[in-house]
Amino acid sequence: MALIEAIGIGKVYPGGVVANNGVNLSVAAGEVHAVVGENGAGKSTLMKILFGIERPDAGTLLLDGQPVHFTGPKDAIKVGIGMVFQHFSLVPSFSVYENVVLGSEPHAAIKFDRQKAIAEVRELSERFRLNVDPLPPVRSLPVGQQQRVEILKALYRNARVLILDEPTAVLAPQEVAELFVAIRSLIEQGRTVIFIAHKLPEVLEISDTITVMRQGKTVGRVKSSEVTEHSLATMMVGREVALRVDRASVARSERVCEINGLRLRNARGTDICSGLNLSVKSGEILGLVGVEGNGQAEVLEAIGGLRAVADGEIIVANENIVPLSVLERRGRGIASIPEDRIAEGLATGASVAENLVATRLKDGAFARRGLLDLKAIRANAAKLIDQFSIRVGGPQVAVGTLSGGNMQKVVVARELSEQPKLLLVAQPTRGVDLNATQFIWKTIAGARDAGAAVVLSSADLQELLALSDRLLVFYRGKIVAAFLNREDLTPETLGTYMLGLAEQSPEEMQAALA
Amino acid sequence: MTTDAEPGGLKPQSRWDVARRELVRGAIAVVIALIATIAIIFFTSKEPSEAFWTLLTAPLSKPRTIGLWIDDAAKLSVTGLAFSLVFQARQFALGVQGQLYVGAIAATYVALSPIGATWAGLPLGILVAMLAGAIYGFLPGIAKAKLGANEIVSSLMLNYVAVELCNFLVRVALVAPGSGLLTTAKFPKTSLYPALVPNTRIDLGLIFAVVAILGVWFALYRTTWGLKLRLVGHNPRFAEYAGIKANFIMVSAMTAAGALGGLLGSMFVQGQAFGNLTVQFEGGFAFEGVLIAIVARNRPLAVPIVALLYGYLRQGAQLMNIRTDVPAEVIGVVAAIIILLVSSSFGIPGKAFFTRMARRRQTVAAAATGGVAK
Repeated sequence: MALIEAIGIGKVYPGGVVANNGVNLSVAAGEVHAVVGENGAGKSTLMKILFGIERPDAGTLLLDGQPVHFTGPKDAIKVGIGMVFQHFSLVPSFSVYENVVLGSEPHAAIKFDRQKAIAEVRELSERFRLNVDPLPPVRSLPVGQQQRVEILKALYRNARVLILDEPTAVLAPQEVAELFVAIRSLIEQGRTVIFIAHKLPEVLEISDTITVMRQGKTVGRVKSSEVTEHSLATMMVGREVALRVDRASVARSERVCEINGLRLRNARGTDICSGLNLSVKSGEILGLVGVEGNGQAEVLEAIGGLRAVADGEIIVANENIVPLSVLERRGRGIASIPEDRIAEGLATGASVAENLVATRLKDGAFARRGLLDLKAIRANAAKLIDQFSIRVGGPQVAVGTLSGGNMQKVVVARELSEQPKLLLVAQPTRGVDLNATQFIWKTIAGARDAGAAVVLSSADLQELLALSDRLLVFYRGKIVAAFLNREDLTPETLGTYMLGLAEQSPEEMQAALA
Repeated sequence: MTTDAEPGGLKPQSRWDVARRELVRGAIAVVIALIATIAIIFFTSKEPSEAFWTLLTAPLSKPRTIGLWIDDAAKLSVTGLAFSLVFQARQFALGVQGQLYVGAIAATYVALSPIGATWAGLPLGILVAMLAGAIYGFLPGIAKAKLGANEIVSSLMLNYVAVELCNFLVRVALVAPGSGLLTTAKFPKTSLYPALVPNTRIDLGLIFAVVAILGVWFALYRTTWGLKLRLVGHNPRFAEYAGIKANFIMVSAMTAAGALGGLLGSMFVQGQAFGNLTVQFEGGFAFEGVLIAIVARNRPLAVPIVALLYGYLRQGAQLMNIRTDVPAEVIGVVAAIIILLVSSSFGIPGKAFFTRMARRRQTVAAAATGGVAK
């Protein structure tokens, strides 16, 4: 008999978004059950319903065959359901054990019994092979450990069922392996895990059963042993997909951008990176690899002109661009697709047409003597909407009303509407569904094939491996390894360097640095 | 939820849809406010129906009262525009009052100088007033750009400076010798706005208001400056990324709004209503522009509509004050309720509930059929 069963779940958000529509889920006790689907397929909504955060508009939830109604997460916790969100809810300055017991502390009379709390947390951590020390403050831990603190929190509250919402999104490959060890140990001891993901190789590795969702519906329930990555992807998208971009071997020619001895500082005045050298040629994609916060994003900002350079030079087309303004850099053919498109890449209250020309107001095509040429602006928008198949009611619609994938397309369309010489790309497909991902990958590859030098930073190693011609691994603001992208280069190899476990010698790097 | 395929996720709305929805919302706000007013009048007045009738119809009773209404609406439009301009750039400068006073002082100096008695008195007075207002708007802007001074605080403090400066100058320097009044002598005719309709307050100021409305609309929606200004207002980080000089836009928006504030000062003292400078002549009028801008959602073309409606209520309340036993302060209640309703983005009562019910029925039906199909 199924431990948890959801039958015919329907959920409509205010505003009329149908997130779940006739969703069925059946999770057996003691299994790892993966729920996969594109962004917006309704996975997170279903999990929120299971955990009592959202209440379903239709359908029944059964636990051990009995119908249950949750009015809030408290009810779900009470019957043994725990959830770990993508964004952790931890108090950074508190120690691990304090975070774990927070809200249900063991007491000795009226005093908080710290020794007992530490002992209990340590015992739990050892029993489930989570490898977390209860004493250090949470902020000193790497992301992977923080995640396991969240798991401890759920286990401390006697969770029989643990829901993990995209747990691998923030982890390096080695950390993923450690997480999987912990998940297997949970299963061995009779717990059940529901695993939300969209990276298919991981799903196939860890799960026993997979439920596939598409557009708010469940489209199938399969045994992981009976499917392949390809058939699963087809189920998710509803048609055949190719997750590879052909890397045409363009004859690499002139050096477009060269960085010499770059030093960047953060707001507190400490170095983000120093003495950094790299170069990128026309017709190649240079991938910057690294766990977030190791300096890749800041280097991109410095090239784009959004971050002050403390020392060193950035040379584009034989000219040091460090003293130039953002607009002057754009005038020299630098385009950039920023990491956080809503916070940085778009004015969501302005229309699509206005967003598409925002960077080109000096351009005589759209403005003459300070007056806007509305006709040209609208024509430009219509052309780009068509060319980049942006799904929108019209050029005058506010960008904020579009879906995430279409917002990203607006940014991409604006930055690539004129062939750039140097294209800076950060996390181009974060939070974007498979169809849009494919499209954006093709577009970036297209810009490269047309002769642009592309610098790409991404947290998704699959993306970097699929697109890049060369890869540089960043660790604490330094380049610790450089590779030419060959078929035998694996995420695990990159991960070793990303976590600072190894470093190439200058001679080893030489071949791929130039 | 961010998928393309989700029904209802994509809702293109034309500008007319938005305008119509806003109008309906505004009308409902006014009706609710009026109902509250009836309740207050009912409790405070001996003859409530007469008082309420006066509030609603008095502005239209005579040509003179119509003039009062139109003149009020013109001035409300200009202060509303000045606030709309800075609000669209997401600057919360509240300096229109100060700009109004320095503009009025500047216009007074021109009018009372020998030039005031020549044909140049009128245009020069207006220009100098706008210049003074622009400088006064520029100050908090540059202080924010260069020193990081909060524009709310600095603009409010500058208001006090201007009000007291006017107070001081009128008492000490500008008062007619031997007069005990806290007012300057009447300006010469050459420095006054000519009346458009004789024996009413409708004067040249109305034309300036119309020009200002069209000018601000044109600047915001037809020039690169206006697009940059709105982009800075929507998202300053994006503006920086797009290479827009946000500081320049901010300072220039506050300066332009200052010029409007100065113009308003000239419209007061050189208009048919006053024709001289008096201490405290403005009585907090400038801040009514905040209400106008909020209700008009900072849209220049919506500003005059709101100004006409609100001006009508203001005049009705004034006349009710004079002709009946209900004080004009009642209008403060009306204004407060309208602001509350409009800024809290309320929906049409019950509408959300009914659509949710309708949708729920659909989903349940769909889910049920889906379940059967499996």
